[in-house]
Order: sequence, then C-alpha cells, then structure tokens
Amino acid sequence: MYATKSAETTDAAAPLLSDAIDLGYLDTAQAKFSMTPGGFLELDYKGVNYPRVAVRRSLPLAMPNEYLSLADPEGKEIAILRDLTSLDPGQRGLVEAELNRRYYCPNIIEVKSVKDQLGYVYFELTAQGSGPPSSRMCAVKDVNKNIRMLSDDDVIMFDVDGNRYRIPSLKALSAKSRKRLEPYLF
Amino acid sequence: MARFTRYCPEYMEDAFLAQGVGADGILFAIHTDMDEDGARADTYTALTRDALLVLTGEEAVARMDGARRIVARFNARSMRTVPLEDIRELTNDRLVATGQLCAVGHDGSVRSLLLYSVGFLGDAEKLAQAVKNLKAGLPPLQDVSVDTDRFCPKCGQRYPESGRVHCPKCADQRSITLRLMGFFKLYQRRVLTVLAVMILGSAVSIAAPQIGSRMLFDEVLTPGGSYFGMALAFVALIFLVRAVNTGLNMLYGYALARTVPWIVYDLKMRIFEAMQRLSVGFYTSKRTGALMNRVNRDANNIYWFFVDGFPYLIVNGLTFIGVLTLMCVMSVKLSIVVMIVLPMSVVFFRILWGFFKRFHHKNFVYGAQLNSMLSDSINGQRVIKAFAREDAEAQRFARVGGKQAGVDVKMNNAAFTAFPLIYLFMFMGQIVVTMVGGVMVVNGELTLGSFLTFIAYLQMLYGPLEFMSWVSNWWARCVDSAQRVFEIIDAKSDITEPERPAAVSGMRGDIIVRGARFEYDPATPVLKGLDITVESGKMLGIVGKTGAGKSTLANLIARLYDVSEGEITIDGVNVKDWPLASLRGGIGIVSQDIYLFIGSIADNIRYANPGAGMEDVIRAAKAAAAHEFIMKLPDGYETRVGAGGQDLSGGEKQRLSIARTILQNPRILILDEATAAMDTETEAAIQASLAALSKNRTTIAIAHRLSTLRDADSLAVIEDGKVIETGTHRELMTKMGAYFKLYKLQMEGLKVINMDAE
Repeated sequence: MYATKSAETTDAAAPLLSDAIDLGYLDTAQAKFSMTPGGFLELDYKGVNYPRVAVRRSLPLAMPNEYLSLADPEGKEIAILRDLTSLDPGQRGLVEAELNRRYYCPNIIEVKSVKDQLGYVYFELTAQGSGPPSSRMCAVKDVNKNIRMLSDDDVIMFDVDGNRYRIPSLKALSAKSRKRLEPYLF
Repeated sequence: MARFTRYCPEYMEDAFLAQGVGADGILFAIHTDMDEDGARADTYTALTRDALLVLTGEEAVARMDGARRIVARFNARSMRTVPLEDIRELTNDRLVATGQLCAVGHDGSVRSLLLYSVGFLGDAEKLAQAVKNLKAGLPPLQDVSVDTDRFCPKCGQRYPESGRVHCPKCADQRSITLRLMGFFKLYQRRVLTVLAVMILGSAVSIAAPQIGSRMLFDEVLTPGGSYFGMALAFVALIFLVRAVNTGLNMLYGYALARTVPWIVYDLKMRIFEAMQRLSVGFYTSKRTGALMNRVNRDANNIYWFFVDGFPYLIVNGLTFIGVLTLMCVMSVKLSIVVMIVLPMSVVFFRILWGFFKRFHHKNFVYGAQLNSMLSDSINGQRVIKAFAREDAEAQRFARVGGKQAGVDVKMNNAAFTAFPLIYLFMFMGQIVVTMVGGVMVVNGELTLGSFLTFIAYLQMLYGPLEFMSWVSNWWARCVDSAQRVFEIIDAKSDITEPERPAAVSGMRGDIIVRGARFEYDPATPVLKGLDITVESGKMLGIVGKTGAGKSTLANLIARLYDVSEGEITIDGVNVKDWPLASLRGGIGIVSQDIYLFIGSIADNIRYANPGAGMEDVIRAAKAAAAHEFIMKLPDGYETRVGAGGQDLSGGEKQRLSIARTILQNPRILILDEATAAMDTETEAAIQASLAALSKNRTTIAIAHRLSTLRDADSLAVIEDGKVIETGTHRELMTKMGAYFKLYKLQMEGLKVINMDAE
C-alpha cells in the first residue's frame, strides 16, 4: 500500500522502499532446523548455529503461516521466513510445533452453556487445541473488550487468565452454540 | 508442615501416592494445564527435597448423585523425575498465550520442563522461587505467597481471576447488601422518613380506586347506598385523594433527594481515600487499572439503583401485595381468573421482549462502533488530511453506518410488532376478566363498583409485574458494582507504613543500593541485582540504554515500589523502615512524565509546600528557567494549567516540575531525564541552576545525553538491570569500556552535525 503510493508520487531519484530496506528473508536452502535435547528449536543458518530460536508471527490472525520472524533469545532477528510452506515437510513440522507452543489458541467447537453472573460470563466449552477436543470452563470479564469479532464470521476470545480461544467460523458452529454466544458478540 | 492439599486438590494425594510419593515428602506443588507438547492435560509438578516430580494425566470430573459437590479423580499418564542436583535454577519464559518453565543446568544448558497456558505463569514463578530457596538452604516457601484461598471454600471452584478472592458463583449477595445498607445507617432517620412516605403513598394509591370506583358506583350513584346523592362531595373527595397522593409523591422526592446523594458522597469519599492510600503498583497493574476505570460507573450504578430501583422495588412490591389482597377480599373467584391470566401475559411479554432485545443488542453494537469511528476520525483529522484519506474514511464510516441502518430497520420492525402484540395480549387478559366479571355482575355476585375497581386494580398489577421481571438483573449489577467498590476500599497497599518506624531526625542523604532485584510483571525482571552507593552531598550520574532500569531505580529509592530482593538504605536505614512521609519528603524526583494538577501555575509550583510565599515561588521558577515563559503568558503565575487549562510544551511543563521540586527543598534530588524535553539553550540554563542546587545535596541524575552529566562526581553505567561500570568520567574514559563507547558514539553524532553545518 505504501509502496504504491510512493511509487506514484516520488521522482525517479528517490529509491523505492523495497530497494532501500532489505527484509532479510530466510534463504531456506541454507537453513536447517532441528530440535535440541532440551526441547528447543535450533537453527543452523549460513554457517552460524542458533541453539534456541523463537518464531513469532507478524500477522498471527490473518496470516499465521507467513512472515514469520526468527529471533534469538535476546530478540535479535535472524531472518524472516516468508512462507512456512516453502520448507520441506520435516522442517516445517518443527517450526509448526514451536508456533503451536507459543501461540496456543484452541478452537471453540461447541458452546455448551453460558452464564452471566456478576460481571463475569462463564463459558462451558468444547475446544480443541493440539490433541483431542476437551471440555473446559472459562470466565470472561468485560465481554465487549475480550470477545472480538475479527470479521463477520471470525471470533477471538480472551479469558481472565489471558488464554485465547478462537472461533474460525461462526457459521460452522451449531445453531444452539451460536445462539448462546450471540448476546456477547460485539 | 503445611498440608499438601493447600496447593492441590485432595485426590492428588492419592495420585502421587500411587507413584510412590507420600504427600508429606512434598514441599510445594503446582497445577498446570498442558503436557510437554502443548496438548490439553493436567500436570502436577511437585517439589520434594531432592527432585521435581512432573505427573501428567487427566482429571476426570464426575458429579455424585444428589450431591452438589463435584468429585474428581486423576488418571495418571506419565511421570517424570528431575533431580534437583542437575538443576542450577528454574526460569520462566512468557510466550504469547503460553509460558514455559525451563531448567538451567550447571553447564548453562537449558531445557524445557513444562508448558502451560499463560494463566499459570504466577504459579510457575512460585515454583522457581521455591527451588531457589531450597538451593540456598532457606525454607522453600520463604517469600512465596501461597494463597490458600485459590479455591472458593463454598463451591470448591477455582476463582475466575487469580489474585482476586472473589467467587461470583457464591458471592455473598446478602453480606454485600448488608454492608451497602451500612452506609444508610448514618442517615437512619432520613431513610425511615423516605420509607414511611413511600408506604403511605402506596396505601393512598391503592385506596384511590376504592373511593373513585367502588364507593362512587355502589354507595353514591346506586339508590340505597350509604352516601346516595352526595356526588359533589364525593368528586371533591376523589380530588382530595389525588391531591394527597401528589403531595406525598413530592414529599417522597424531597426526602429521597436529601438522603441518597449524601450516601453516595460517603461511598465516593471512601473510594477516593482508599485510592490515595494505595501504592503506585496498584495503579499500574493491569487488573486494577481496569478496576479503577469502572469506579465511577460503579458508584453511578449503585446511585441509580438506590434512587430509582430500590424505592420502586418497595413501592411496587407493596402495591402488588396490597392490590392482590384487596382483590381477594372483594372477590376470590375473579381473583383466581386474574391469577391465571396474569402469568400468561408475563410469559408472553418475556418471549417478545427477548426477540426485540436481540436486534437491540446488534443495533447497540454497531452504534458503539460508529461512535468510536467518529471520535477516531475527529482526533485523527490531521493525519487523515496529511495522507489524503478523507474518502477512505468516509467509506469506512458508510460501511458500518449502512449495517447499523439495516439492523435499525429490523429493530424498529421488531418493536412495531412486539409492543402492539404485548398490549393486545394484555388487553385480552383484561377482556377475559371483564367477561367473567360482567357475568358475575349480571348474576348479582359482584357489584358494579367492585367490578370497575377490579379492572382498575388489574391495570395496577402490570407495572409492578413488569418491573419485577427485570429488577433482579438490575440488582445483580448493583451488587456487582458494590463488590468492586468494596474491593477497592478493602485493598491493601503493597507499600505500607513500617510497623515500627526508625527514629530518624532529618536526612543526610547517604544512599546504598545492595543487590536490588525488581520486576513489574512476573518473569520479566527489570533490575537483576543492582549495586550503587552515593555519599551524602555527592552527585551520581547514571547512564544506560532505554529500558535498562534507570527510572525503576528512582522509583525504588523513593519507595514507590519495594525491591523484590536486596535492600536500599538511606543513612544506613532501610527505606522500608523510614516513616513514609519523612522518606518521600526528603526525596525530590523530577521525572520524565510530568503531571500538572488543575489550578494555577503558582499552585502547581507550591504543591509540595503550600505555605511558600510568592517570593519563593518566583525564586524557584527563576532557578528552573521558567520565570520568563510564565511572564509571557497573559495571566502570569495565575495561568490555569492541567486538564482543560493552558497548553504548555513538554519543556515548559518540565521546568514547572523542576521549580516544584526546588521549592520542596529535598535532601536527595533525583533527576530522571529532567532536561530531556528541552532545547539546548534552555537545558544549559537549567543545568547551571541545577548545578547550584545540587551543591551539598545528594543527587542522582539519570540521563541519556552524556553532556548532562558532566558535573557528576561519579558515573554508573547500567545495562540489563545491572551496574556494569562505575567511576569518574576520566576513569571510565581510560578504561575504554561501555561508557567510552557510548561517549564516542554521541560525540561522533555531534561531529557529523558540525560537518553538515560547515
């Protein structure tokens, strides 16, 4: 968006943003991910070993598998992985596991009951993270802030403990679940 | 030894026992909610003398027949044992929605021990602390606040919000109510007056149809009645009753207006006083921040319930009971008909109302979106224009506006359908009663007057009934608000006056900080064992990158927060033992964020020392290089500043804040980037006066620009929560370490500018 604007309005002498700033994409051919015995993601890249790499999403909601920032424990960026699918399946699985650990956000597949009591809304849910679906209770405070519509169909919910829950598609929920949830959607 | 069940549910004792671990060997235990791979599981990690035991499995919950209590069992899946001798320490990493407990080995190798959703971070921190204590040979739970009240004692459920001992399920509405009523106690007589007037009022309105309908038709207009023919006198009586009723209503209004505002005033004063008592930490913690935002709304909720809800509850309740009783007295048969018809219309009403409410909710949501968009675009006009995005903004507004209009149409349709239907149904109820009553009148079972009174009473019943159907929600909201208000009133400050304050007379200003550790949020330490010493009357300059913990140090010395480890002493006395007023009175902080109160400039300068004369105020302003700009303002020292007052630039505000501190005349002066927002010329002027001021005063100057610190007796470089270098400017320059690098960088920056200028 910004690039197009500057392209139209700047004279030829001014460099484009894309020329001036290098994004530092990961050269996947030179990168090798592995898992340390301690349970951390390790990266060998251009001859350097990074024993513990954090993977962070630039767009955790809209593009969870693109523009992934790889950084060392101090937060210094090593490179940006443009697209997770550009890795071969084995490597991809390692990065995905790390992402799942960091961005744990089970999907709500059923809303069993909703109780509105003294400023808290209690949800009894069936939700699925990694692994089989399980039922859980969670309490949400200030629903208008903590239950957010990302689009007309996509909902994210934060409970009092800071846990996140996602409903990727409201339409996919059962009519009953949807009706229970409806008064709390803002 | 503390019972194991303080940290875990009872059934876990059996689960650990099954793994060969007796409950009495367990020093501490935490529960987390994931297995190693991040899948949902119940994991209990127990600390024993020589190992950590990680037990993963599933809690199976069952409700026993007929019992209210939930009974749980634990199905263990796996257990890991981590010997403590392999671990140097435990650390916690906060990820996005999860946390990770890691074990650091003696060779510095790190491995992941536990993964948990972020709500368990506080518990994991406690485990790390317990291990640390154990390693240091201390009692494992020293400085680990084990809140035994994590589970509601009544229903056994975990409290929804950790750190807030409040179970909404079992919230004792009665005790809150009683406490709320306690506020009324001070105004007992007035409250009793209100109640008396109200009861009298209801009695008169119930009596009105008796006179206006029953007696008028049966006794006055019917031949043979006791007052037959006295129509004129009766009309006068009806008018009189109405007049008395109106008079009582007015009286009731006055009585209420005289009472409730004062009760709410009491409530607000208590909240405000409690707020002043609380520590800075209370305001910065997110949880309580949200709590504060709602205080005003909460006080209002309580106010409106007691002005509007509570009186009508009593009036409506009394009216309902009174009317029903009178109906039964007049005719049991017709009363039974009413009691069948009435609940039906209530049910019908609720159904239609629910239907209408759904659209109303959506309409409200879009309306709120539209409003925030509007304020967004008003506040952001400058940016919108700068990026030429006017059309895009209009389109954005149109999209939501269109949605709202659509829902609005639906809502209005729903309203125009629902409400007439409700009235129609109510009218049908009336028809049924009229039919049955009419037949009774014809058969001579009921007099015409009684019949008309009945109809009038029937209409008097709908109001209270409708009111009762939603007053419970209103009441719940009021109790919820009261609960939060009481929570603030009862909150204990983290920073409290020492129980036995040290006997200090005046302050010399020797500061020693020893091994100070501090964190605002769990698992994100800001200071990691910081040591500094400043002799009385000397100036210490502190340099370091942003976020290195410089400002935190200033807050800790003034005891706005308490260190989590280590100690800070002033004149050899721990700051925790100083009487708070003497401590803070002796320390002046000029910080980056400046707050000016609503009032005149002179009042703001005088804030710490309200008795100061005008001469001193001007002197302080001159010392802070503020006098000249103040004199350029049309109202001089009487210019109103603060919210809604004269806009001052950042540098001007900073100079006022310096003047304020100068007038306070503290023994210890902390300058936290005091001149950061000023141009070079003003800075030079202030530097000169600050230099004069800091003579014989202990001064800690925190600065980013090294030139600000040229007068310092010594310098300390802070990095990552620790002091990495100390010494004089000369010493540090010859050392060629971190300070030297910083100095060179800044000088080079200046050189570049100089070259450009040439």
